[in-house]
Amino acid sequence: MQRIPIKFAAAGMILEKEAMTPEGQVLCGAGTELTAELILRLEKQGVAVLTVQGHPVTLPGEKSLPERLKELDSRFSRVKGDPVLRAIKKLIARMWILQERGEEALQALEKQGKL
Amino acid sequence: MPAIILPMTREDILKRMEDVQSLPTLPPIVSKLNEMVNDQEVTASRLGKIIEKDQVLTAKLLKMVNSSFFGFPQRISTIPNALVLLGFNVIKTLIVTSSIFEVMQASDVKLFEHSLGCAAAAGIIARRRGIKNPEEVSTAGLIHDLGKIVMRAEFPEEYDRILAAARERRISVREVEEEIVGMGHGEIGGLLASRWNLPESLVLPVRFHHTPERAGDHKKIAAIVHFSDILVRAVGYGSGGDPWVPPLDHGAWERIKFGKREAEEILMELEEKLAELQNFTVDIS
Repeated sequence: MQRIPIKFAAAGMILEKEAMTPEGQVLCGAGTELTAELILRLEKQGVAVLTVQGHPVTLPGEKSLPERLKELDSRFSRVKGDPVLRAIKKLIARMWILQERGEEALQALEKQGKL
Repeated sequence: MPAIILPMTREDILKRMEDVQSLPTLPPIVSKLNEMVNDQEVTASRLGKIIEKDQVLTAKLLKMVNSSFFGFPQRISTIPNALVLLGFNVIKTLIVTSSIFEVMQASDVKLFEHSLGCAAAAGIIARRRGIKNPEEVSTAGLIHDLGKIVMRAEFPEEYDRILAAARERRISVREVEEEIVGMGHGEIGGLLASRWNLPESLVLPVRFHHTPERAGDHKKIAAIVHFSDILVRAVGYGSGGDPWVPPLDHGAWERIKFGKREAEEILMELEEKLAELQNFTVDIS
């Protein structure tokens, strides 16, 4: 799944999560396939971000998953000895892998002891 | 390692803080509001009407209070409403800092993003910890690096050298500040915030966001801001001047700690807010 600013939404993408107004009103449910008309309507209602299936867009400045994980490692390099921060780091890595590669990939990595 | 000679001492900074010149001046409305708010009889609607005379400020304030870093569940459409729902402290801080954030957005967009991200994280954690006014904690997160903005504006050359030294030696900006100036950005930001007569619930978390157990009666808010700073740096959103996740204060962690499941929920919530913040700017164009 990928969260994208609505201006990157395109017809054919499928919603992973319901689309909501800033006030929390649900406009259309998970599984809805986007059309150009629907995107326009959602935008008019103030929807800023959509969560879609897969990873259909490379956002400007977006880095690849391995690159992001490497940088994550480096940011934590000065607090390696802290068990709480180590746990937080692992949770962030898990969340990113799950979002981009899905449950199976995450489990495979865990089995290999890579997380 | 080349020695860094900086014509900047603790005394220099304190002296310069007496008369901060490079930051935008406070809108005249602030002193008027300060006078009025000491009067118990003044209602939110009267205060609101005064603010609303300034249409540009009103538009900016409404944009800020409705942005996702506050995460207020309903849309806020008038200033009196904002005053009642978020409290005077939040609105006053936003008025005082709105022009500074505009400058910062142009001069250091990464620090601006870091500040917004920290505000978002602080709001999420404050809500989960049942803090009475979570928007005030968000506001503390928003201005926690005020000291860095002051340094950049008042001592631009020296501050660039501090950043360069931090990069070169692969240590944090805060370590270089303490070593060279004998004063960190927390203390500097806290000084400015108290000069602006912001309440202690905001001044202390700003001042002690790296040493939250020293934050007097506001240790919990300081702990939340401390952890939010860590979390936003951890996910790599924006930049506080160096790439490192700062050390966690375990006294502070004990005050707000959570287990794995809640941590996952917080991270997901934060990701969502950060994605929404991608398009956020302070100006109203």
